Amino acid sequence: MTLKVVVPVEERVLQAAERRKAAGVGEDITQFLAELIQLGFEYRLQQLYKQFEAGEISLGHFANKLGLGVRDLYAALEERGLPTSNIGARSSIAGS
Amino acid sequence: MLTAVFDAGPLITVCKFKSQGKLVVDYLLSGCHIVIASSVEEEVAVRGAGYPDGVAAGERIARGVIQVAPVAARKWARHLADYALGDGEIDSIELCGQVAGVEALVTDDYLAFVAATRLGLKVWMLPDLVLELTQIGNLAVEMANVILYTIRPRYRAGVIEHSLVRLQEVKE
Repeated sequence: MTLKVVVPVEERVLQAAERRKAAGVGEDITQFLAELIQLGFEYRLQQLYKQFEAGEISLGHFANKLGLGVRDLYAALEERGLPTSNIGARSSIAGS
Repeated sequence: MLTAVFDAGPLITVCKFKSQGKLVVDYLLSGCHIVIASSVEEEVAVRGAGYPDGVAAGERIARGVIQVAPVAARKWARHLADYALGDGEIDSIELCGQVAGVEALVTDDYLAFVAATRLGLKVWMLPDLVLELTQIGNLAVEMANVILYTIRPRYRAGVIEHSLVRLQEVKE
């Protein structure tokens, strides 16, 4: 689901989007800004997942920090193939 | 019948996964009384009402087979204050310390597990509860085996494998 919201954008970010459009790299400024927001969300999720993975924060705290409900976070982790439990060996460590 | 307080994570898992066409929660409910905090109900059945498992949890709460209990006192507020826990985890820990006859807290969260253990509570991961129900004869070994494989994707390496070995020991 995609919603339309008004978000303040720094001048330099908007200029970058316009330069990309002018250079023919990207056509739609709105699309470019939407991608930036999505990347920011993914970055924040991955940052917090590292803390969760290390046992520094709980699943509930993780959800609060990300601004999601616990059930939505559970779904977001599942979509990315990430366990929702942080007890046990990390897959990269297991069996090594 | 054994009584356990469930945190949000395990409650979602048991209401989401099915074994042989039946939700895992229903296998557990035949041998275990599940109690949850109001904040866990909010996280799973209210805010999670858009998911089939949220609906499943809500139906069982409405029927009274999953009990929602209020946190009457916050005797561990100071102990838990500086852990990075969510409301559901804090309330589940508090609830576990005040509902009569509760055998254990069921959580799959490391921090909640550690904090609750340090408060002297008995804490199980969901696979431990499955095993416990088998050990006391409230769940068939074969069904426990199927359930453990069903919920496996939600766990990190070692957890389900550990439970499967213990299940084998119960069998023997």
